[in-house]
Amino acid sequence: MICLISDTWYLFNKYVRITLRMPMWALFTIIQPLIWLLIFGQLFKNMASLPGFPAGRYMDFFLPGAVIMTVLFGTSWSGVSLLREINFGTVEKMLVTPVSRISIVMSRVIHSAFTVIIQCLIIFIVALIFGVRVSGFSGMLLSLIVVFLLAVGFSGISNGLAIWIKREEPLVVMGNMMTLPLMFFSSAMVPKSFMPEWIRIITMVNPIDYAVEAIRVFYTGVVSSEAVFAGFAFLVLFALVSISWATEMFVNQSE
Amino acid sequence: MIKTEKLTKIYPSGTQALDNLSIHVEEGEIFGFLGPNGAGKSTTIKILTTLSRPTSGYAWISGYNVQTEPNKVRCSIGYVAQETGVDYFLSGRENLVLQGRLYRMDSKTISRRVEELLELFDLKDSADALVSNYSGGMRRKLDIATALIHNPKILFLDEPTIGLDPHSRSSLWNFIRMLNKDLKVTLFLTTHYLDEADKLSNRIGILHKGSMKIVDTPEALKDSIKGDSITLSLNSGEKEKANSILKDNSIVKELLCEDGHVRVYVNNGSEAIPALMKLLTQHGIEILSLTISRPSLDDVYLKYSGVSFKEGDSSEGSNPWWAQWQKGGWGKKWKGEGKREGEKSEEKPWEKWNNKQEESWDKSKNQEEPWKKWQGKS
Ligand SMILES: Nc1ncnc2c1ncn2[C@@H]1O[C@H](COP(=O)(O)OP(=O)(O)OP(=O)(O)O)[C@@H](O)[C@H]1O
Ligand SMILES: [Mg+2]
Repeated sequence: MICLISDTWYLFNKYVRITLRMPMWALFTIIQPLIWLLIFGQLFKNMASLPGFPAGRYMDFFLPGAVIMTVLFGTSWSGVSLLREINFGTVEKMLVTPVSRISIVMSRVIHSAFTVIIQCLIIFIVALIFGVRVSGFSGMLLSLIVVFLLAVGFSGISNGLAIWIKREEPLVVMGNMMTLPLMFFSSAMVPKSFMPEWIRIITMVNPIDYAVEAIRVFYTGVVSSEAVFAGFAFLVLFALVSISWATEMFVNQSE
Repeated sequence: MIKTEKLTKIYPSGTQALDNLSIHVEEGEIFGFLGPNGAGKSTTIKILTTLSRPTSGYAWISGYNVQTEPNKVRCSIGYVAQETGVDYFLSGRENLVLQGRLYRMDSKTISRRVEELLELFDLKDSADALVSNYSGGMRRKLDIATALIHNPKILFLDEPTIGLDPHSRSSLWNFIRMLNKDLKVTLFLTTHYLDEADKLSNRIGILHKGSMKIVDTPEALKDSIKGDSITLSLNSGEKEKANSILKDNSIVKELLCEDGHVRVYVNNGSEAIPALMKLLTQHGIEILSLTISRPSLDDVYLKYSGVSFKEGDSSEGSNPWWAQWQKGGWGKKWKGEGKREGEKSEEKPWEKWNNKQEESWDKSKNQEEPWKKWQGKS
């Protein structure tokens, strides 16, 4: 167990270091969600005045959406870089050591979640500057936990798919195919009351919807509600299932 | 030290890479593993290094079963893959430290080992540069260094000298000898360079289609192919005379006259030469020059890997190899082979085969080597 944690820590360190060595990449991953926040905020501005739309500007409404987009796009790289490491023989070099196989996957997933959290923090700060009402520190912290769980989940899926598909191109295509519909099948862009019935049913099994709802609740300040608690449980489950699946795939493949 | 029993590997795609392979490598050996592309060399190494599971059969490293005690195996071996596996986005030093961490060594030991290895591989100056800025040879060296971070007793090298210039190649050879001699590391290496296997290995195994064709010392393997050829250069008028003298001699297995030379095939060249010289001088025939060529490992390799170098002769050793020679006429065969091998000429001045001289030739060549340190030791 101690080995698992220290192995994960050293590998996590490595990935952080590599990320920091790509300043342009870091810069763009931070700018990208801001662009979404601003563009979408402007594009759908008038939607907020439609009858039935929750109170506030569209940008206030869309903030969780921008966060989720960041999570989805940020984590979908995780699998691509795993494939690159496999092709470069870096993974093989890890596998000849007694290092825990689980921590190879864990460190990647946590690194991915970690970079996404930093991006989201910046989104929150910019949102504050643009006058989005955030209820307080605890709400923000809880939102970041939601982001972490969702990022772990999707990064796990990306890594698992990478091992399953084995090629970069189809992986990227599949990632895009998966993330965009999932976005639309959630209340990230459009309130639930605007959705047709069948989409509303899909949202019930969509982890993104739970995350969006939870974040929305957190930053508007209503922290304790049963729905949020259920959403949280669902996200924990999602993260656990996905990370176990990715680990399972990895361990099976590496033998 | 390394032992496999009836190792079989069938990939999910259905390719049978190994077929009941049994190997035994003793402690302290340098074992050269040869075989054509796709013979199963890398597959064998992957199973021995716990990277792949055999379909059936067993393998032990230092007495530990690779399947049931993988972590004990991993701690006692180092592995240098066919492609370098160092991380391009880390510096050389970071790569070494990380590898130490993955072997779960403590920080003190790691930093001591890292300094030792950087020194040993002459990578000190570029230790903090990113590996993406390294040359291929430097990457290779770093790759080997990372495999040695935990002081393994066994080192697996999959085509270690591929892509190295002749200088780096011979320094790596010296290094491998040093590892073996001074640090008592058992080495298991695959290569496609036969001269490399010949010079380095204590024993050589030739793998073909997943099973071992033969295992023996390089010398014994070469001896197993009967016949050295001795080429005598004589004054033009004396060829016929020499021919008649040598024809009935018991040492001589075959005799061939070409241009200005007489080519004599014998069982053991170094024993035959004094006798031949004596015989010819007694008859007043002057020998202008003399060349002996030994069957090289190439011959052995071709024989056991079932690849025949003469078109149409694809029989995989169903009859003795030299029988094929005799059928086609020896001289023809040797000539054909010389052509095929290109600059790797069959015939070498006989001095070259004198081991001591060759070594010193190697050494003097390496005087300007970056890896000078090993020279005293090797
Ligand atoms: N991962 C794999 N999946 C399916 N087949 C494989 C795999 N790896 C190797 N093979 C097949 O197994 C056989 C042996 O391959 P291996 O890599 O062990 O050969 P090798 O002796 O190392 O060859 P080379 O000299 O080219 O490196 C080949 O036929 C190869 O196509
Ligand atoms: Mg190979």
